[in-house]
Amino acid sequence: MNDKRPGVVTYLLLGALSLLFLYPIWWAVSSSFKPAAEIISDPLGFGLGRATLDGYRAMLADVPIGTGFANTALVLAIKGGMTMFFCPLAGYAFAKFHFPGKNLLFGLVLLTLMLPTLVLIIPLLLEMSALGWVNTYQALILPGSIDAFSIFWMRQIIAAVPDELMDAGRVDGAGEFGVYRRIILPIIRPGLAGLAVLTMMNVYNDFVWPVVAVNDERHQTLQVVLSTLAQNITGNRIGADFATVWSELLAASSIAMIPLLVVFVLLQRHFINGILAGSVKG
Amino acid sequence: MTLSRRLTPYLYILPFLLVFAAFGAYPLAYALRLSLTRWTGAGEPRWIGLDNYTYLLTSPEFWASLGNSAVIWLLVVPIQMVAGLGAAVLLSNARLRLRGAFRVAFIAPFVTPLVAMAQVWIVVFDQDHGLVNHALNLVGLPDVGWLTSTAWSKPTLALLFLWKTTGFAIIILLAGLQSVPAPVYEAAEIDGASRWRQFWSMTVPLMRRSLSFLLVIQTLAVFQMFAEPFVVTQGGPFGSTTTAGLYLYDHITASDLGTGAANSFLLVILVFALSLVSVRLLRAHDE
Repeated sequence: MNDKRPGVVTYLLLGALSLLFLYPIWWAVSSSFKPAAEIISDPLGFGLGRATLDGYRAMLADVPIGTGFANTALVLAIKGGMTMFFCPLAGYAFAKFHFPGKNLLFGLVLLTLMLPTLVLIIPLLLEMSALGWVNTYQALILPGSIDAFSIFWMRQIIAAVPDELMDAGRVDGAGEFGVYRRIILPIIRPGLAGLAVLTMMNVYNDFVWPVVAVNDERHQTLQVVLSTLAQNITGNRIGADFATVWSELLAASSIAMIPLLVVFVLLQRHFINGILAGSVKG
Repeated sequence: MTLSRRLTPYLYILPFLLVFAAFGAYPLAYALRLSLTRWTGAGEPRWIGLDNYTYLLTSPEFWASLGNSAVIWLLVVPIQMVAGLGAAVLLSNARLRLRGAFRVAFIAPFVTPLVAMAQVWIVVFDQDHGLVNHALNLVGLPDVGWLTSTAWSKPTLALLFLWKTTGFAIIILLAGLQSVPAPVYEAAEIDGASRWRQFWSMTVPLMRRSLSFLLVIQTLAVFQMFAEPFVVTQGGPFGSTTTAGLYLYDHITASDLGTGAANSFLLVILVFALSLVSVRLLRAHDE
């Protein structure tokens, strides 16, 4: 495209927009290091010299954020592991095998893709209580662990791998799983990275199902812990002033943002691939 | 072909089928049956036919929740489509510097956990001590009840949604723009079409796919909006932010599960219908 060199106005507009997007994050994180009273008396100012960890100390005493992180990490490891192992495998079956019933089964995948999560919440909750799984890790992990979208996406990526490469592997005497592991997986590594990053973001930020499925403190994921922050803090500090509560609230919110933001900055490209592909899900 | 090669694909798909049967198909069928019964979580469900549906369709609260979502949709989607397309056009300029940095800044909100930012929203938009009113006072403007007045509660939540997802919309539209082939523009340039003209008569029609795609997923997202009102306003003040998604959740807290199931199906039907209509409109408008 023979674009004109962008003028100052373009940079100003994009710069202003960037500022709008970044300022709330900056404000939350920087305010979490301020002395509590200043969050209210001087919300716009920030003096590095007066930075303090008081908010974090108080928050760690009042909020079970460690439990939240541990539970999220556990769910992320198992649920993410299941997605990463089973979804590309199923995608491989749909992309490279011909078998009776394939269209029917793939139709099922597509149908599931269009199903809003909302419709399943109530019956899933009832199923969990019938199984005695309310407030358990399996309730957090199993539903949605092998999801249609990831299978669909991996099928698209694996379908683009030339069959000749696989035939070469077969000649070398590799079995079906060997062909998958030694030929397909290495080629689709960028797609797998995108899937990993997207899965991580979705599981880490997931809220609707965890808040319904779990109500005891021991199994709460990070997001569920965060959702009741204000109640938690005021409950532990009867009569605490706004400033103290807010300082703890901002400390907890900031800590929760940091892991994903770091991963995002490091793995930008995979993130954007993942988000673009993941947007199909809705 | 050996037997094992013939069985292999089924084996690979089996885990998905098991999970889907247990946590997809079964609960879905169950929900359908549940929506035709009266059940409060204890005792036997009682068959009541379509009563749950007629109850909802004649309930002012159900319509109010849809109305609240519709207002938020109006506050979010048009702004996001127009501003998103504008920003995407600026970003797509091949000679733009710092594109990577801009892209990071735009996507960052999308990566932050919604629940954490919802907490931040409570603090920033607090009427007495919040950042926004503090800034308004500095320039001599009076306090606004961002979260405490029925007039401002929806715009404040819409703003959270806009802040969180507009960068995502920009990235989707940018990818769409970059798939518009360069020769199309070159030909137009030779014909002497102005930039503005090029934008309306070529870019927008060629972007139809990306735009309708965005329209559909954001419509789905707004009508399922749950965490924002749940955390920031608990549906208040005076029910002004009880969105369709939050109203659905209220049935769970009230143990009115049959009605809740019926409500989810009505919502799904509505969301699908809305998506279809909006895509049709976008097509008709362009042709």
